[in-house]
Amino acid sequence: MAVFMDLNITYTTDKKRLRSVIETAAHLGYSTVAINYVVDLQQKKQEIGKPKCVLELFDTFPIVQGKSRPIKVLNRLTVVASRAAHFKPLREYKAYDLVAAYPKTETLFHAACMEFTIDIICVAATEKQPFFFKRSSVEGAIERGVFFEVSYTPAIRDSTMRRHTIANALNLMEACKGKNVIVTSGAGKPLELRGPYDIANLGLLFGLSEEEGKAAISTNCRAVHLHGEMRKTALGIVHSMKNEQPLTERQEEEDVPASKRAKIEMAQ
Amino acid sequence: MIHHGSRNIFSSRHRHVLSEMVRLKSRYLLCEVCVSDRSNLLLLDDRAIYTAAKAAVARAHGDYGAALSSLGFSVKYLNAHTGIVFLRCRKSHYRLIWSALPFITSLENRGQRVPCFLNCLHVGGTIRTCQKFLVRYNTQQLHRMLPLCQSEGMRWSALFLYISSLPMHGFLIADNMPSSLVRFE
Repeated sequence: MAVFMDLNITYTTDKKRLRSVIETAAHLGYSTVAINYVVDLQQKKQEIGKPKCVLELFDTFPIVQGKSRPIKVLNRLTVVASRAAHFKPLREYKAYDLVAAYPKTETLFHAACMEFTIDIICVAATEKQPFFFKRSSVEGAIERGVFFEVSYTPAIRDSTMRRHTIANALNLMEACKGKNVIVTSGAGKPLELRGPYDIANLGLLFGLSEEEGKAAISTNCRAVHLHGEMRKTALGIVHSMKNEQPLTERQEEEDVPASKRAKIEMAQ
Repeated sequence: MIHHGSRNIFSSRHRHVLSEMVRLKSRYLLCEVCVSDRSNLLLLDDRAIYTAAKAAVARAHGDYGAALSSLGFSVKYLNAHTGIVFLRCRKSHYRLIWSALPFITSLENRGQRVPCFLNCLHVGGTIRTCQKFLVRYNTQQLHRMLPLCQSEGMRWSALFLYISSLPMHGFLIADNMPSSLVRFE
């Protein structure tokens, strides 16, 4: 059927665990996963390091259930933002396929929606959101092509966190009317993943309609992926590939899919 | 119209009342129990899944959910070797019960707790449609796993699992074969 993606797999230094999570994801039918490196810049001056090369994990990637292609693994960075100054560095962001922000205050949320060069804004799952979502900022984010992410693994682990997740998600749905939402796991263990159809159904609990729920794990995720690529390649103009002649690069950029082209035109 | 389903031993959806045919429509959720350790699978039985699913629905949806799940909810079939379960619910409420299934984190059987999760593969109106899907799914699984099998014994066990998915006869074979023949190492 459609391409399902799970864009939030917590990075652990334990390679075996990471490998088993990705294998389970392939077994469940996810065509793409993203390994999430969480960075909290306020604590102990953590640096945004380079992501580990994905090829180190597997010799041959496990094949996705139902398709004949191997699973694709991306790198993603989540910056836990408590001050706006945290968002200055841009060079390190280029190494990651996706960049996400987890704003802790109302002003940061507004700034993240309107200005920051990010792809995803995380909605709090483990605590009650201290601020409400303003419709103006949310609509600004939707126009820019930034997506809101709801994570479901805390809901599976604990009952109070379940209430927080659902409350925050419903809050978000009221502000954004179900558009530009993705649902991801925050899985650290292979048993914390769930199948794509189950998640589309969980969307019902979060206030999404049936179609929006399915879109949240397929089409919206793909849009995020493209948005990330667009951000990396500076709006699709600069595209670096090894051993390719410049003319053929230009040709590739011409076949940009319609959704990406629309976003490029919107951003210009 | 002749309803072949009423002769099928798995289908009991027709209630023949003298004056009218009351059709109880149901939905069959075809789920797979995913465990980290395959040998734990053999410990499961349908009671365990039934109680776990009921508890999860009660936790997620409260008294309303508990009431719904007491109505027409049952575990129709469990294949302990492959971990395939058929859950049956009423058509009007199957979404609610389905939405509580991701919250199942473990199954308990005779005091032993097996951490696992249920992955819903297919929703069908009859067991027949679910079986058809299962045959296709198992074929895909076979294509995925056969190249990875390192020994003849493993290949035979993989083939056996495929055969066990065939409707009617497959179930009967699977339930009667000794479990020692089926081990995925």
